[in-house]
Amino acid sequence: MSPSLPQRLRRELMATPTDAVVSLVLIVAITAAAVGFLRWALFKAQWVVIQANSTLFAVGRYPIEQQWRLWLLVTLLTAATGLGWGLLRGRRWPLHDRIAAGLLTALALWAPAALSLSLAIQLRWWALTALLLALRWVVGVWGPGWWSGLSPLGRRLLPLGWPLLYLTGMVLISGGLGLTPVSPSEWGGLMLTLLMASFAMLLSFPLGVALALARRSDLPLLRWGSVLYIEFIRGAPLITLLFLGQNILGFLLPGGVAPDRVWRAAWVLTFFCAAYLAEAVRSGLAAVPRGQFEAARALGLTVPQSLARVVLPQALRTALPTMVGQFISLLQDTTLLSLIGLLDLLGTARSVMANPAYLGKNAEVYFTLAVLFWCCCAALGLGSRALERRLDTSRSTTNPSDSAPSPAVA
Amino acid sequence: MSQPSAERMIEARGVQKWYPNGFHALRGVDLTVHRGEVVVIMGPSGSGKSTFIRTFNALEDFQQGTISVDGRALSNDLRDIDAIRREVGMVFQQFNLFPHLTVLENLTLAPIQVRKRPKAEVEEQAYALLHRVGIREQADKYPGQLSGGQQQRVAIARSLCMEPRILLFDEPTSSLDPEMVREVLEVMRNLAADGMTMVVVTHEVGFAREVAHRVVLMAEGEVVEEADPATFFTNPSHERSRQFLAQIL
Amino acid sequence: MPSSPPWWRDRRVIPWLVQGVVGLVVLVVIAFLLGNLVRNLSAAGLLLSWRWLGQPAGFDLSESVLPFNAELPYWRALMAGLVNTLRAVAIGLVGSTLLGTLLGMAAFSSNGLLRRLAVVYVEVIRNIPLLLQLVFWYFVVFLSLPNGTDALQFPGVVLAKSGFYAAGFEQGHWHGPALINGVWHAPLRLSVELTALLTGLIAYTSAFIAEVVRGGIASVAKGQWEAAASLGLHWSITLRRVVLPQALRVIIPGLNSQYIGLAKNSSLAVAVGYTDLYSVAETTLNQTGRAVEVILLLLGAYLVIDLLISAVMNGLNRLVQIRER
Repeated sequence: MSPSLPQRLRRELMATPTDAVVSLVLIVAITAAAVGFLRWALFKAQWVVIQANSTLFAVGRYPIEQQWRLWLLVTLLTAATGLGWGLLRGRRWPLHDRIAAGLLTALALWAPAALSLSLAIQLRWWALTALLLALRWVVGVWGPGWWSGLSPLGRRLLPLGWPLLYLTGMVLISGGLGLTPVSPSEWGGLMLTLLMASFAMLLSFPLGVALALARRSDLPLLRWGSVLYIEFIRGAPLITLLFLGQNILGFLLPGGVAPDRVWRAAWVLTFFCAAYLAEAVRSGLAAVPRGQFEAARALGLTVPQSLARVVLPQALRTALPTMVGQFISLLQDTTLLSLIGLLDLLGTARSVMANPAYLGKNAEVYFTLAVLFWCCCAALGLGSRALERRLDTSRSTTNPSDSAPSPAVA
Repeated sequence: MSQPSAERMIEARGVQKWYPNGFHALRGVDLTVHRGEVVVIMGPSGSGKSTFIRTFNALEDFQQGTISVDGRALSNDLRDIDAIRREVGMVFQQFNLFPHLTVLENLTLAPIQVRKRPKAEVEEQAYALLHRVGIREQADKYPGQLSGGQQQRVAIARSLCMEPRILLFDEPTSSLDPEMVREVLEVMRNLAADGMTMVVVTHEVGFAREVAHRVVLMAEGEVVEEADPATFFTNPSHERSRQFLAQIL
Repeated sequence: MPSSPPWWRDRRVIPWLVQGVVGLVVLVVIAFLLGNLVRNLSAAGLLLSWRWLGQPAGFDLSESVLPFNAELPYWRALMAGLVNTLRAVAIGLVGSTLLGTLLGMAAFSSNGLLRRLAVVYVEVIRNIPLLLQLVFWYFVVFLSLPNGTDALQFPGVVLAKSGFYAAGFEQGHWHGPALINGVWHAPLRLSVELTALLTGLIAYTSAFIAEVVRGGIASVAKGQWEAAASLGLHWSITLRRVVLPQALRVIIPGLNSQYIGLAKNSSLAVAVGYTDLYSVAETTLNQTGRAVEVILLLLGAYLVIDLLISAVMNGLNRLVQIRER
C-alpha cells in the first residue's frame, strides 16, 4: 500500500526533530526568497533593456542590410534539424518528442512577443517553428521509406550534409563567394558564442583523438610529446592562454601578420579543448579490452583499420558523456572572450550596460543571460544522459527503435 | 577422423622467447603440424602453451628459432605477417567479438576490408557459416544478447569467414559454463571431420581423446612429450606427463 | 631469423620511422615559429630580456597584502599580484571544501527537502558560467549593498559596500567591527572585490566538490551503512565516523582536480577588479609590451601553484591509503 501524501510529507520532512526544524527554516527562507524575487521580476525590474537590445544580443553589430544571410542560415538549420529529427524518429511521437514540440511552440509564441519584436519578425519565428515541426512530421511519415530505398552510396553521402551546412553557414556569416564580406569584429552576441564554441569543438575533435592515441602509444616520442602538450594546457588558466593567443600570435607568423582577434581566440579555444578531449578519449580507449585489438589484428586488419573500425567506435561510445560535458564547459568558457575584448554574449551584455541609457540595469541583463546559459547547458546535459541510455540499450534490444538506422553509424 | 596429409602447415624449430622482465617463456620448442591434422596442446598453467600458439600469427614475437606457417617464414616483414594472418584464424578464450557490430557484421568486416570481397558475396557466405555452427537466426543480434556458447560459435564462424587454412584455438571453452562447452566442442569436432588443420590449447580430455591426431604436453616452456592420444592418456613415457595426467584425470 | 625485409616493410623499423617523421615535422614547425618570433621581436626592439623588471611600475594596485606603490619595480608588482592570488586561492579552497562537503553530505540526509535543495543548488550552479556568476555577485549584489550606518550588520560580521568586516584579534584585544566617522573598521577586513570573488568561487566550486564528495560516499558499500544501522548509530555519526573515512580514498583524487580548477579560476579576478597575478600581468604587458616574458612568468607561476596543490594532495592520498592497512 503506497503511503498517502501527508504520510510521505511527514517521512520526508519531519523524520527527526532536527529535521523538522531544518525543514521549517528552509521553507520560510525559500518562500521569502521566492516572493522577493517575484516582486522584483514583475514590478521593479525594467525589462526594456533586453527588449531594446535583442538584436545586439542575438547577432552583435552585424550590418542590418546583410542580416538576411543570417535568416537564411537559421532557416537552413531549422530545415536540416527537422529533416534529421524526422528521419531519426519516423512515424512515432514518443513522450520526449511531444514535450519538445510543445515547448518549442510555447517558446515561439511567447518569446518574440516578450521581447517586443516587430510583428514581421514575430511572424518569421512562427514560420520557422512551423517549418521545423512540419518537416519533422512529413519526413517522419515518408522518410523511412525513402531511406530504405536509398543506395548505399546515398546513405553514406547524406550525413555529409551537416558538415556542408556548417561550411555554408561560415560563408554566409563571413562573406566571400559573391557575398559582401562582414569582418569578424562585427560579429557578436549569441551568434558569436555559438560559432566559437562549435568551431572549437569540431576542430578539436580530430586533434584530441590523435593526442589520445599518441598518449597510449608505445613510441616514446609520441607519448611524451602528447603528455607535454596535454599537461601544459591543463595547467594553464584559459584566460592566460587567450591572453597568449592575442599577444604572441602576431609575433609567430612572418612579417608580424596576425589573423583577426576572433580567429586567434577561436584557435586558442580549439587547442585548449583538444587537450581535455584527449583525456576523455583516453579513458574511453582504456575501457576497450586489449583482446579487441588483438582479435582485429588476428583477422588480418591493419593497425589503422583495427583502430578505426573496432577500437575507436567502442572508445568514443564510452567517452561520449564526458565529451558532451566538455562541450558544455566550452560553451561556458566562451564568456571569457569578453575579458579579451570580444563581443560574445557576455561582452555584448557589458557593452549594453555601459550605455548611459541602461545604466544600473545589471540585474535584468545578467539574469536573462544566466537563464539562457542555464537552459542551453541543462538541455545539453539532459541530451547527453539520454544519449548515454540509448547507446547502452541499443546493444541489448532486439529491434532498433526506428525504421531508419541512425545516419551516424558507419 | 580423416587422415592428415604430408604437407607441413606449421614448422617451428628451436623457438625461444623472453619477456621484457627477463622471464624465459619458451625454451627451445619444436613442433610440426601437417595439413588436416588436429594437434592438442595441454599443460599446467604458465607452461607457455598459449604464448607458443600466439607466435604462429605474430601476436607474440620470439627472439630465437624459426617458424614457418603455410610455407612462409615468420619474420619482421610486414607483408609476410599480413599474409600469414589472412591464412591463420584464431579463436580466443574471451571470444573478443566486436560488441558494437551485429553478428553478421562481425563476420563480414574482415573479408570486406582485408580480402576486398564484395559485400553481397561475403554476406551469403556468412549466413552459410552461421547456419553451419547452428545460429543462423541470430545474425542481426548484437553479441551482448547472446549466451557464451553462442558467442564462441560466432567467433569460430568469424574466423572461418576469412577462409583460413589453419585454425588456432586458445582455450576456447575455459570461459564457458559447463552446459555450453558441449555445443562449442561439437562445432570443433565437425570442423576436424571436414579436414581443417587445427592447433588447440585446451583442458578438454574428451575432445583430445576423440578428435586429436596428436597430443603435445608442454611444461615450463618446453615440450615434454608428443604422442597419439591413445598412447598419451594410457601409457605416457615421461614422469612429468604422468604427474600432469594424475592431476587432470 | 631469415633475411631482413626491406626497411619500409620491416616491423622493427616502422615505429622509428613514424617517430622520426612526426618529430621532424614538429621540429620544423617549431623552428619556423620560433624563427619568426625572434625576428619579429628584434624588429620591435623587444628581444628577450629581464632588465625591465627592475623599472618602476608606474601603476597602483587596488589592494595588496605586500606593501606596494607606483614607484616600486615591476617585479614587486608581480610579486604582490602573486600573493593576492595565493590569498584568494587559500581562502577559496577552505571555504569551498567546507561548503562542498556539507552539500555533499546533505545528499544523504534524512530530510527530503534538504536533499532536493542540495541537488537543485548543484544543478543550477553547474550550468551557469563562472564568469557570469562572478560579475553577478560583484555588480548586482555587493556593489548595491548599503554603506555606513545602513550596512548589513550581523553578530560579529558587517557587510557593506566598502567591504566585508569581521571580528578578530587586534593588538591583543578581541574587537568587533566598529563604525568610526562613517567608515567601518574591523580587525579582519576583505575588500568588496575580494569578497565578491570569493563568494563566486566558493559558491561555484563547492557545487563540484559536493558532487565529488557525494560520489565518494556513494562508492562505499551499502553493507557499511547496514552494519552501522544495526548497531543503532544515527546516520550523521555513521557518515562521519564510518563512511567518510573510507570515502576519502575516492574523494581525494577528485578534490585534487577541483582545487587546481579553483586555482586557475582565480584568474578571473580581473573581471571584478581584484588585482591578482593575471590582472597585474595584463597591466604590465600593456605598459611594457614585453609579451613573451610576462606570459612565461604567468604560465610558470600557475604551473608551480598546480604542482604544489598536486604534491600536497598526492601526499594526502598516500596518507589515506596507509591508514587502511
